[in-house]
Amino acid sequence: MDANMLYALRDPAGLPFYPVVFMLLSVLTFALHIFAVQVMLGASSLVISGAFRADPHWRRLASAMTDVAKIAVSVAIVIGVAPLLFVQVIYDPFWYTSSVLSARWVIGFIVIMIAAYLLLYVYYFSNYRADTSRTPRSRWAMLVSLALFLVAGFLIHVFTSQMLHPDQWMQWYAPGGDLDTSGASLHAYNPWRFGFFILMAVPAVGAWLLAYARYLSGRADADLGYLAFVNRLGARLLQVGVPLVLLLGGLWMATLPESAAGFGTSIWVWVALAALVAGGIAAHLARGDGERGSYLPLLVLLVVGIVIAAAREALRYVILYGAHAYDFMDYKVNMDWYSTALFFGTFAIIGGSVLAYLLTVAWQAGRTVGVYTPSPAVHRMGVVSIALIALWIVQYFVVGFVVWAR
Amino acid sequence: MDFIGLYPTWYEPGIGSGWVVAIIATVHVLFSHTAVGAAILFAYLSTKAYREDRPELLDYIKKYGLFLLIFSYVVGSITGVGIWYSTTVASPRGISALIHTFVWKWATEWVFFVIEVVGVYMVVYLVGKVDKRTHMTIAWVFGLASYATMLIIIGILSFMLWPGKEVWFVEGGYLNGFYGSNTFAQLAMRTAFMLTMTAVVGGIVAARIKDPAFKKEMSRKLGWLGIVSTIVGAALFQWYLHTLPEYAHLVMQNRLPDYFGPSLMAILGGILVYFIATMLQPRLLVTWGAATMVVALLVFGLWPEEVARESIRKPWVAGQYVYSNQVIGRDVPGLGIESEMPRLEAHGLLPLHPFLPEELREVTPENVARAGEAVAITMCTNCHSLSDTGIRPIRRYIGDSSDIVAIKRYMKGSLGTGNTMYMPAMPLKDLEFEALAVYLASLNDPSVVARYQAERAPLAKVQTTEDK
Repeated sequence: MDANMLYALRDPAGLPFYPVVFMLLSVLTFALHIFAVQVMLGASSLVISGAFRADPHWRRLASAMTDVAKIAVSVAIVIGVAPLLFVQVIYDPFWYTSSVLSARWVIGFIVIMIAAYLLLYVYYFSNYRADTSRTPRSRWAMLVSLALFLVAGFLIHVFTSQMLHPDQWMQWYAPGGDLDTSGASLHAYNPWRFGFFILMAVPAVGAWLLAYARYLSGRADADLGYLAFVNRLGARLLQVGVPLVLLLGGLWMATLPESAAGFGTSIWVWVALAALVAGGIAAHLARGDGERGSYLPLLVLLVVGIVIAAAREALRYVILYGAHAYDFMDYKVNMDWYSTALFFGTFAIIGGSVLAYLLTVAWQAGRTVGVYTPSPAVHRMGVVSIALIALWIVQYFVVGFVVWAR
Repeated sequence: MDFIGLYPTWYEPGIGSGWVVAIIATVHVLFSHTAVGAAILFAYLSTKAYREDRPELLDYIKKYGLFLLIFSYVVGSITGVGIWYSTTVASPRGISALIHTFVWKWATEWVFFVIEVVGVYMVVYLVGKVDKRTHMTIAWVFGLASYATMLIIIGILSFMLWPGKEVWFVEGGYLNGFYGSNTFAQLAMRTAFMLTMTAVVGGIVAARIKDPAFKKEMSRKLGWLGIVSTIVGAALFQWYLHTLPEYAHLVMQNRLPDYFGPSLMAILGGILVYFIATMLQPRLLVTWGAATMVVALLVFGLWPEEVARESIRKPWVAGQYVYSNQVIGRDVPGLGIESEMPRLEAHGLLPLHPFLPEELREVTPENVARAGEAVAITMCTNCHSLSDTGIRPIRRYIGDSSDIVAIKRYMKGSLGTGNTMYMPAMPLKDLEFEALAVYLASLNDPSVVARYQAERAPLAKVQTTEDK
């Protein structure tokens, strides 16, 4: 598949703004999405570890991590919508072709995700009112749920990997000259790349535990023994996890396809490597002592995640531009200032204000023993949040009626 | 030669890729509409709980919310992504057209999605952990953000059917594509029916209320919500129909199954009877009864409605310029989009499709059946199954015939001219129609291929010699 064909597949409608902006948003939202995925996988693994142990601290942690896993799936799904949107916008020829070539698995992904999430709820509802000293019920559901989430993750890994091999698309679609329209096959994967992103769950959940311990230490009824256990476990997971992902990252770079030759020693990899090592050390140093934990490792890992997401995007660019002469930067632009301004306004003003309010209340309520009543300032944030969304709805109708009547 | 932007095809012989999309979309509509309606209901109930100091209303919100977490925020949210995924593999250029036109609108919707997801967990899990006024504030944030997601998606759905204003084709511009009569009519109708769905699904939770007086109260509240929204929705449906173009009415009259109309009337009537009965006698509000109503709503209401919505925009799949077979069939000068029909007419399909083996670029006696199959897969399978099962099996249109000449004449006349309602124009080359006819004939009688090759191969040789 030469560049001429790739460009023919590009959507003729063009983009409503500069392509580089969509790429940057894609990197940022992918970093947040994959972090939520990693927290979910790590939390689910801790649930299983705790469910099969008799230790009361492990049992209590398993119960808490069930909630974390459940919410992290929701967050991962909703944040994942954004990178899925942006990849279709700038890399449509690659995403659509890769998806169609494995169409049956694309549909299967939906079914697998629903089954995995429902099984997580089966485990949750089997145990959410139970005393944590009892052996949890329906442990099988949690095991199968985690396995299915890993399968779903692997499928996404395959779809994104297939994007990078336009030279092989015709062999996959018409092997021997006969069209294969079944979409039944998975064609390209790299176990080290997949393993790298999955095992990032180890340091990610380690940092999460340190933040969790720090958060709970602010409660008046904090159980210091439990917090010390959580803190130790979080620090240990960080210590083990960072070298592990460094190893897998190295194996990923060593097994890059020919189309990415040289990337393994490029500045991108050195920056990502430096971020991981520095992040690991910083997280270790900032892990907190005793039972207090720390928020800092979580923030450090988030920044490391953004650097890795940027390097991942650079790798895609190097392969598709370097080896296949496709440059998303020259995508046609049909500038649309109104929808561009509306998005950034909504994102920054409404998203920022409303989430600041909601997360403040959630944060404070979680640290309060009994009923939380916000301060007048926090309450005003809520009123402003409602007013902002209401105003957005009003502009929707005002602009709409003006356009309609014109 | 410039290729046209066709992708590989996913052909699902069992039920057809179109029905895979329809099933996922129908399920998603039920879950997502219920979620938005419930968010608004929660805002109302939470306000009432605050003003009248009614903790039992918050308890109902919590139980309904927990149910919603699975009903709407597991199955609903994943099938939402599923619509993107299924349309990606079934109709990549259709979804691409929508994505590229409305990327910022979808991104804006995403901001509200994030608020909605955070909001639903807080509305459910902070009952009793924050004061009632704060809960009310969160519920309003959640309700309004949920409704904002609906406002956005309706404009995109309307565009998919018909761009808001005709001037969009000439001038482009997101606003011209997004807003039109159908946008507001569809929004009003869906707003009403989403409240109907909320009332029906809410009955599953209300049926389990132990306190008879409170159960009676919730039966009445849900009943009134269901009755009023159903009647208003039915009236708004007429407005919605009125905003549809004449062509859509023609398709509805001629192409939709006869049972669709009666099915919609029956489910609307059934819902009214159901709510009146449960209001008069709350004991009739039982879990299995409410669940049965939800399934009935899905099967007899949403399925015909969604299939009809898909059908009335045919032969287009998006914005009246992308055909259901993925070919761009119309100029959109406002966005610099050129119709691919002139190029198809000049060169045919096989030389221009990026995803065909080189040996199929030209029809020969040796490859005629395979070339015909490639044409059929590309041009037909989005809407027609090549097997006996699935969506509109193509053999129905040729009966038992294996007469290549007759089939070719029929195809050229009905498709080559573009004069058949509901079907895209397909200005294929003569040999491509012939190859298509051979392939279709072979579905009824596989031996026609060998006979055709035996007859045509000597002629082809003569032709080749003359060319030399």
